[in-house]
Amino acid sequence: MTLRIVKSTVNVEAVCTVEEAMTLLEFLQANAAARINLRACTHIHAAALQVLLASAAKITALPDDGFLSRWLAPALGHRLVKGK
Amino acid sequence: MTTPLLERFVSEARELLQSAAKGLLVLEKSPDDDACINEVFRSVHTIKGSVGLFDFPAFTKLVHAGEDLLSAVRAGEAKLTSEVVDLLLDALDQVSAWVDAIETTGAMPEGADGVSRTMTSALRGILPADYGAAAKAAASSAVAVLTDLAWLGALAEADRLAAFSGVLDGAAVLAVEYVPLDDCFFSGEDPFGLLRQMPGLLALSIDTSEPFQPLDQLDPYRCILRFRALTSAPRIEIEHQFRYVIEQVRLAEVAPHALVSVTGETNGGPVYEDFVDEAGALAAAADWDALRRSVDALLELTGPSLVLASALRWLRAVLAVPAPEAAWVTALIGCVARDEPHDGPLPPVPALSPRASSTPPVTEPAPGPKHAIGVVATRILDSQRVLLDIGRNSGDLPGRLASAGRTVTNLLIAAGRGDDADHWQVMLADARTQASPDPLIALLDGWLPADSPAFLPPPAAGDGPPRSRPDPSEHADAKPVSRILKVEQGKVDALMNLIGELVVSKNSLPFLAKRAEDVHGSREMAREIKDIYSVIDRLAQEMQGAIMAVRMLPVSEVFDRFPRLVRDAARKLGKRIVLVIEGEDTAADKNIIEVLGDPLLHIIRNSIDHGIELPEDREDSGKPAQATVLVRAFQESDQVVIEVTDDGRGIDPEKIKASAIAKGILDAERAARLSDQEAVNLVFYPGFSTAAKVSDLSGRGVGMDVVVTAVEKAGGTVTVTSRTGEGTTVRLSLPLSMAVTRVMMVEAGGGTLFGIPMDHIVETVRVARGSIKHIKQSEAFVLRESIVPLLRLDRILELEAPTWFGDGSEEDAVLVVRVGGNLVGLVVDHFREGMDIILKPFDGILASVQGYAGTALLGDGRVLLVLNLKELL
Repeated sequence: MTLRIVKSTVNVEAVCTVEEAMTLLEFLQANAAARINLRACTHIHAAALQVLLASAAKITALPDDGFLSRWLAPALGHRLVKGK
Repeated sequence: MTTPLLERFVSEARELLQSAAKGLLVLEKSPDDDACINEVFRSVHTIKGSVGLFDFPAFTKLVHAGEDLLSAVRAGEAKLTSEVVDLLLDALDQVSAWVDAIETTGAMPEGADGVSRTMTSALRGILPADYGAAAKAAASSAVAVLTDLAWLGALAEADRLAAFSGVLDGAAVLAVEYVPLDDCFFSGEDPFGLLRQMPGLLALSIDTSEPFQPLDQLDPYRCILRFRALTSAPRIEIEHQFRYVIEQVRLAEVAPHALVSVTGETNGGPVYEDFVDEAGALAAAADWDALRRSVDALLELTGPSLVLASALRWLRAVLAVPAPEAAWVTALIGCVARDEPHDGPLPPVPALSPRASSTPPVTEPAPGPKHAIGVVATRILDSQRVLLDIGRNSGDLPGRLASAGRTVTNLLIAAGRGDDADHWQVMLADARTQASPDPLIALLDGWLPADSPAFLPPPAAGDGPPRSRPDPSEHADAKPVSRILKVEQGKVDALMNLIGELVVSKNSLPFLAKRAEDVHGSREMAREIKDIYSVIDRLAQEMQGAIMAVRMLPVSEVFDRFPRLVRDAARKLGKRIVLVIEGEDTAADKNIIEVLGDPLLHIIRNSIDHGIELPEDREDSGKPAQATVLVRAFQESDQVVIEVTDDGRGIDPEKIKASAIAKGILDAERAARLSDQEAVNLVFYPGFSTAAKVSDLSGRGVGMDVVVTAVEKAGGTVTVTSRTGEGTTVRLSLPLSMAVTRVMMVEAGGGTLFGIPMDHIVETVRVARGSIKHIKQSEAFVLRESIVPLLRLDRILELEAPTWFGDGSEEDAVLVVRVGGNLVGLVVDHFREGMDIILKPFDGILASVQGYAGTALLGDGRVLLVLNLKELL
């Protein structure tokens, strides 16, 4: 399991698989104020990526991963919030 | 050996193969059916995709070759002739055989590599020569060309600048648009993962081909992502990288100017007139070093988010080479200049397309963003006009004329105004001879007046032309979610058995009611039990009906393979046959459907092989050259009837008789007495075949008797009617369901119950013992003036016969049954009632016991043995 949910923040860690896209979606559907922490994420499956893009949830951190942070920033950067 | 994944692959592959083969047959008739070719292509493509999950290289290669061929057909590069269809069908057959092998052993059969190689090269042989080469080199099919590059402007400027510098250094930059299929996740693809491995990635934008659904309706497994990227990797590497999804990828080489777009906030700050003047002069004098310094200096003073800064950054990039393209420089300076005096808003995404006639990397001229051409063109023309005007008195006029001439010519050609371009060339020549830019300025003035309508696109197209991408995912949008459950047959069977048990247990309630009345003397109790019984009875019957409906399959399951069969056979034999199928929705129990397949196949083969004449013979006898085989299914009371009718030569009774005599089946005297219909019925006789020679199709020594055996085993009947010269009809009649058997119970051997299937029973009679005739050891009796042999059930079953008492006027209960077309009288002790039972065939050690069809449980718990009269008598 690479989705670790702490209160209303979902921490996406390591490789987020195709199955987890559904889990992620359900969490985001259920929590309007959800936040997403991508810091430890190293790869995200395209299905989960779709969920990320479709939701409006705030992002607390972009991935440390070079590839992800570089290319996700244009699409997700505006949702980035300062926070823990 | 097999894993669940492999099992799923096998069942999926079978379905896809079936649909591909079906589509191919349609295509052969109407090769222009785009929907159909797409469907076939998709099926084959999906098979290829899913087989990629396993290590079956021979399989993958063959499917891939087929896919390539289909893709070439789809693109109109190869023609789908009958021969090509033959090859493809052969390939599908081979694949289907492999699927079977994979299902049983979990591995490819030996020698598959060789077979795959032969078939693959046969398929590739059809592909156009260059196609084959490309496929060999990059294992790819033709990659669609990306025509709409308007999105380039939306990439981050820094990325574009980097790409632009790359191009100026001589590297080729490819624009890649990758739109995964919407169901790609189901074939195990991770488009984003694929992109991650893309070599030489320079820029990437991730967006969607349609807006997202609201989060609560989002289907995360329907992929609508669209990736657009720039890469410095060579085309061949990209094609290799995306080789499995190549038809979802479109590529185009990017001319450097297409990367240029000046974005940012409009300027409210300092005025750059000085710079424009200076830069214009420097550019005109080709003093690039000075211009570079000037640009660098100004850039430091300019807010980075301004449009001016953006233009300057581009200017710097353009100037980064020793010999910058003058046209670009002037255009960019013009951009700075135009921002200034007007102080007005630029279009939200101003795009600038200086065209370079001398830019070597442009091998595939990619048109600039079309939607901006009006604005851009006007601006460029204006800036050219300004520059020409400035240069009027400078000593560098020829250079300016050449530069402006080139720029405007290219622009006009790009805008599709060849006439004006010619005109411009004439004026350019004039200007050279006059050593004055005036003719050109005049011409430009003629084109420029306030928003020259000739250059402005129609307002509707202002923000982006409609995209004309042939994207398969687009018309597959409204794919309904499948509401069909795939259930293993065993589970349904188990449910049916349970319901069967329920029916049987329910049958014990009347016994209980009887006991309540007889033993305990409570009529009231008995009536209540009967009430409850009627409720349970109704429910049980409904349940039975429901489970039967689950097992019902349309006969199309069987019919689907006939078009292929008829086509292949007709081609092989040089006959022209059209197959007409009617009533393919007629449903029957799965077991019945399964039983039907082989006999029907046999009958149709017989029709094609023996019944239908060659086209010329048909014309000679005044029939249309094209023969018709009609397969018709319909329901008749509780039977499903399937008729196969051909309009061929029919069965010649005389020929049948002669053949029967020659084979020693019957003697000439008996043959002479046979009616025509009886003679026709001889075809059912085991070992009978009139075919002159054994052909590839039918007549392999097994005749219609195989059909009869199979159909009768399922409780059905076969009849053949034929008219010489007009055709033959074979009619199969089968019960809708085999699950419930109606039997009549009889008593024999002093009280033992036996069930006799109702479809054998002709009538019940009572025969006075005195009227039984004895012929040697056998007995017989006369039933309506015909002699019917008489057998005693207790003797056949070697049961103890009841003691015989009374005189000749005592009557025996005789059940008249029909077995294999003959009437037989069966003497039993007593007749009992008829009833519906669920027949359970013997299994285990009892399976080899002859003479019994199986057993059924009776309501009072006794076991009823059901006889198989065919085996018994």
